[in-house]
Amino acid sequence: MIQKQFAIEVNNLVKEFRQKNRTIRAVDGVSFQVRRGEIFGLLGPNGAGKSTTIKILTTLIPPTGGTASVLGYDVVSNPLDVRKQICVVVQENAIELYLSVRNNFQTFGRFHGLTAKEIDQRSARVSELFGLKEFLDHKGIDLSGGLKRRVQVAKMFMVDKPMVFLDEATTGMDTFNKRATIDAIKEESRKGRTIVLTTHMLDEAEQLCDSLAIVNHGKVIAHGSIDKVKSMGLQLLYVNLEFKKVTKEILRNIHASRPMKVDVRDSSVEVTVRDEQHALKVLTSAKRNRTLQHFEINSASLEDVFVELVDKKERPAS
Amino acid sequence: MNGVLAVFYREYLIRRTSPMWLFFDMLLPLLYLLLFGVGLNKAMGAGLEIAGSSVNYNEFFLAGVLAMSCFGSATNQSYGFFIDRDNGIFYEFLTYPLTRGQFLLGKILFQCIMSVVQCALTIAAGVLLLEVAVQWEFLPFVFVGVMIGTAGWFFFLAIFAFLIRRNDTYNTVINVAYFVLIFLSSMFYPLEKVPSWLKAVSYINPLTWLTDGLRWFVIGLGDPSIVLLESALFSVFLLGSFWFALKALQKAV
Repeated sequence: MIQKQFAIEVNNLVKEFRQKNRTIRAVDGVSFQVRRGEIFGLLGPNGAGKSTTIKILTTLIPPTGGTASVLGYDVVSNPLDVRKQICVVVQENAIELYLSVRNNFQTFGRFHGLTAKEIDQRSARVSELFGLKEFLDHKGIDLSGGLKRRVQVAKMFMVDKPMVFLDEATTGMDTFNKRATIDAIKEESRKGRTIVLTTHMLDEAEQLCDSLAIVNHGKVIAHGSIDKVKSMGLQLLYVNLEFKKVTKEILRNIHASRPMKVDVRDSSVEVTVRDEQHALKVLTSAKRNRTLQHFEINSASLEDVFVELVDKKERPAS
Repeated sequence: MNGVLAVFYREYLIRRTSPMWLFFDMLLPLLYLLLFGVGLNKAMGAGLEIAGSSVNYNEFFLAGVLAMSCFGSATNQSYGFFIDRDNGIFYEFLTYPLTRGQFLLGKILFQCIMSVVQCALTIAAGVLLLEVAVQWEFLPFVFVGVMIGTAGWFFFLAIFAFLIRRNDTYNTVINVAYFVLIFLSSMFYPLEKVPSWLKAVSYINPLTWLTDGLRWFVIGLGDPSIVLLESALFSVFLLGSFWFALKALQKAV
């Protein structure tokens, strides 16, 4: 069988919900592709349609229109084949509250066809990886929210499914476990697994994703590699200047180079500019003052671009 | 089949963690038989004349208790969907590599085995403590009847468990339905003696079909042609409920 290039292909996907005599279009003609072995981020503000899209791709709900396939299997006509290829961290906390962590691993392993020996080996590995060894005999109901989420995510790394969906997987985790989870996701991606994640943490997405789609009001407003998406926003640059003392003359010179925004804090000034040319102008004007001690130029983060893209769609056309 | 067994294994682990289910699934029907049944048997004295046969109330009521435990087991099992939904695990289950049908069958397979154990206990109590004369040669059919009864009611109640999102609403609906269904059936009294309107309504109640079938197999009471028809109707009820439960499960997310 020839393997298709894309692990996921979504074409003009639509999902409508009936609510009190009106129809809500949660997903409105979404199209994107995810390459095999890449980490793909589905980003967007609350209610943008991310989780609904994930629910369709994981066969939890059928679409109203359009098509979607996972590893070549159509989510509507071959839902069981899709489910055989995937494991999913759903948005809700999902753990057997009355079973121990060990039993949680056992039931999950059984559902995914692992033998008792494989379950023992793999639960030992993931409990080590996610710092759950000391909690193996604790019942789900006795765990903190973060630990419950950790068990839920750890289960996904017990099985070797080629496709992993993580819907807000790191929500509620502390920094250490978040880092462990991110490392585990990267490691699984290196092994060739395709990972689709949704997150509100854009620094996390920037750190992890090979490509992404930003959705808003059920539509894709940006799609591609991180660099491509970043280039779709304004070419913002941040010039950080450190002076011995910020004087009126310094600020007058900086403003003369027509920056977008100037923030002053004690002896430092952060200047937001549109492009490299403006950044150079700011630097030149700052250098005229001999009290400049240090400077730094940073490009816009994914978060800046995200806010700008989402914000642009929200603003009425003038 | 692996999917069904995985659900079965999960149900077993869950039940193992709490002995409380023993009370509801195993002891409650026994208490009904030994308290309510014995009390009414004594109060009625001479027993019941039904279709030319004379039976005491303990004999009559035994099949009613079995039917009641089928309904009770199914109610408890269907309520589990709300617990799973609250735990979030319900949604995760639906992404596992098994069909929706396997999911439902795994849930009911475990409960059917529990119903058979409960049925054996109830019949043993009826024989040993109340001296009910059971048709031993039909015991396997009684066990099959109990499994079919539990499955039928489970699938029927699952439809409501999937469509009703609030567990308090579900509790109310089920409690009202339970109250109406048990008193509009042949569970507590023979339908020959009730008003004609009540009799007519009771004969369209699947709980009557189940109770009459079990009663015929347990003590041989009833008209075989009617029991056959009622068994066929209950089978249709079972299959129809399974089909609708599958449809409702598709809309449960």
